[in-house]
Amino acid sequence: MSDTPTPDVEIDSRGATCPGPLMDLIGKVKEVEAGTTIELLTSDEGSKNDVPEWLDEAGHELLTIEAVDDHWAIYVETT
Amino acid sequence: MTGYAVVLASGELERVQAVSMISSIAASSDIPVEVFVTMNGLSAFEKDRIESGDFQVAGPAGEAMLHSGGDEVPMFFEQLERAKGIGPLEVYACEMVMDLMDTDLDDYIDIFDDTLGVAGFLNRASDKQVIFV
Repeated sequence: MSDTPTPDVEIDSRGATCPGPLMDLIGKVKEVEAGTTIELLTSDEGSKNDVPEWLDEAGHELLTIEAVDDHWAIYVETT
Repeated sequence: MTGYAVVLASGELERVQAVSMISSIAASSDIPVEVFVTMNGLSAFEKDRIESGDFQVAGPAGEAMLHSGGDEVPMFFEQLERAKGIGPLEVYACEMVMDLMDTDLDDYIDIFDDTLGVAGFLNRASDKQVIFV
């Protein structure tokens, strides 16, 4: 049984550098309803560290960050 | 937070990119941002320069942005255009420099909300934190 959240929405930002992944996430967060689980895929280490900072300020919940091969999967639940 | 008033007075790619990144993320996060593009900053927004990619760079960071080896680096004009569709971001071109250079808004990419003088910028900046780049 995996603890990996089941996403409602996936954003594939692999290959994009900062601030591309964060912009992708913000745009999607504004489209979806509260309680939506988003999976953001990024190969940019800076974004991996910066996205949690934005979530903390914006008030959305960081569920988990998983390292997958050459990228990270960031799971977010909107509030 | 009442927002940021950003003065972009340089055409160096590194500075223009930094302004667009900070402004775009702030505006997308619903923080009002006014960007006042003046002096050589306007040159980065010339249609011909955008088309040719012939940007002024100051050093290795700028070179790396132009030759990123497969990574997709969002360029400043793409970031700003996108952010304007998400949050409160306005971009103004300096009237004085345009007069000096004998240019009008048609010479630049379609990113500017309007032209602005110093008094107009100061009015808009009066309740904001000013960042000069």
